[in-house]
Amino acid sequence: MSHSTPIAGDFLSLLQEHKLASARVDAALGAVVQTQATTVFAFHFAGGVLMAGDRRATAGNIIVTDRVEKIIEIDSTSLLAVAGVPATAFEMARVLQTSFEYYRRSQLQALSLPARVRALARLLRDNLPMTMQGIGIVVPLFAGVDQTVSPARPQIYFYDPLGAQFQAVGYAASGSGSGTIRSILSFQEQYGQPRPSQMDLPEAVRFASRLLSTASEFDSATGGVNPATDTFATIKVLKADGVATVTEEQQKEILRA
Amino acid sequence: MTEEPYRWLEAIANRREYVGEQLKSGSPVLAASLPDGIILLGVGSGQSKVFELFDRHALAGLGHPADIEKIRQAAIDAAHVEAFTRAPEDVSLRRLVGFGLSPQLKTHFEQIFSAPSLVELLLAELGSEPAQDLFFRLHYDGAFQTQTGGAILAASQPDPEAVAQKWLKENFQGKTNRSEVAELLLQAWWCLAENKFLADPIPAEAQRKAGWREATKGKVIEIGWLARQSPRAAKYQPLTIADLGL
Repeated sequence: MSHSTPIAGDFLSLLQEHKLASARVDAALGAVVQTQATTVFAFHFAGGVLMAGDRRATAGNIIVTDRVEKIIEIDSTSLLAVAGVPATAFEMARVLQTSFEYYRRSQLQALSLPARVRALARLLRDNLPMTMQGIGIVVPLFAGVDQTVSPARPQIYFYDPLGAQFQAVGYAASGSGSGTIRSILSFQEQYGQPRPSQMDLPEAVRFASRLLSTASEFDSATGGVNPATDTFATIKVLKADGVATVTEEQQKEILRA
Repeated sequence: MTEEPYRWLEAIANRREYVGEQLKSGSPVLAASLPDGIILLGVGSGQSKVFELFDRHALAGLGHPADIEKIRQAAIDAAHVEAFTRAPEDVSLRRLVGFGLSPQLKTHFEQIFSAPSLVELLLAELGSEPAQDLFFRLHYDGAFQTQTGGAILAASQPDPEAVAQKWLKENFQGKTNRSEVAELLLQAWWCLAENKFLADPIPAEAQRKAGWREATKGKVIEIGWLARQSPRAAKYQPLTIADLGL
């Protein structure tokens, strides 16, 4: 009674079967003002992977909003940090959320980490025309739990805009403020005490907030962290057993201590 | 054959008889709405009987595994396409069953030259509060009944099911503890599986408790829990008897 999808458990082929796949854009017609620019990053700390991002969206020199959630829980074992054009990035997140849950429910097993990583790469490749035109570029970070090792371990991946995927050893960053962040993370990893991978959660949250504050000093498109004005980052933690959000209240407590 | 109406009716009657006979040994599935969520329960000998469908939706069924699988897959496909094209909040059991599964099952049942679906199903939708919890009892021929809250079951034969449903309704009243309700559902399962509901009198509680424990030895008790207060979008959690302290 049910039609069977061409590839079992593949949500995108199910959409195609229902003729609901999104239309591809192939030609540039004119310049469009895009909302973009961001700072998102992820690093390993003692409790897993911490992924954080500022909350600002800009269009040229206009601040569109300071309330964007750029760290998105895809499912209970994966996180996505979006940098680039929000319209495309949020749609990618929605496709991944539905695809992963669809696979898990229909196939009665979770999608493996390599398949999750490639699913995002596939979306980036499908977005190539928009990327080439410069109006739909997305350069995300992804974190997922590797269940093939014992104990299961969270891993970080970063991508180029064309869909190439790379595993990060200690950290990864993306967006207009990522240069600053990468420099500090590299320094801290080599010479810092404690190193990011040795930090406990409060130390990691404090460090992440300071990273964003520093990035915002040099990049106007990155919203900073300022407890005095109740401006905080989006911070999520991925552990072997799932995702947790570090709420604004918790960040306030940690930064106050 | 189908040119003669009475032959068609006869063929349909034969199908009902065939389906009833095939489902006779099926293990019942049960569900109940509680303040904290919805519990679904089934006892099997290896094949799964309780499934997650979508964020707030679950299914429990008995019958042929391949037929359960087809319906499960159809429901999951429809729910995810609906959620993606509209929103997860728009996925409703009323639409899934009323406009999707039920018409398909009915059509399938009435196509007398193909094999009928051998299934009896129970579908649950978690509301934001217990009064909004919804159950659908879906039959192999596409017929369905709805129930808001309370406890409900699906069995292979209508008469014992009706008696069991009445007993369950009476005994479920006032119960809000998850473990206590799971115990009650297991007692109802045992009485149905052992055909005790048509006996007079129905076995005493101590006998029912001992009965389900003995009868489930070597079998798999599957429990699905739709957790109302879960912060995650996907509310379904598989539980074990040990999780419930039974």
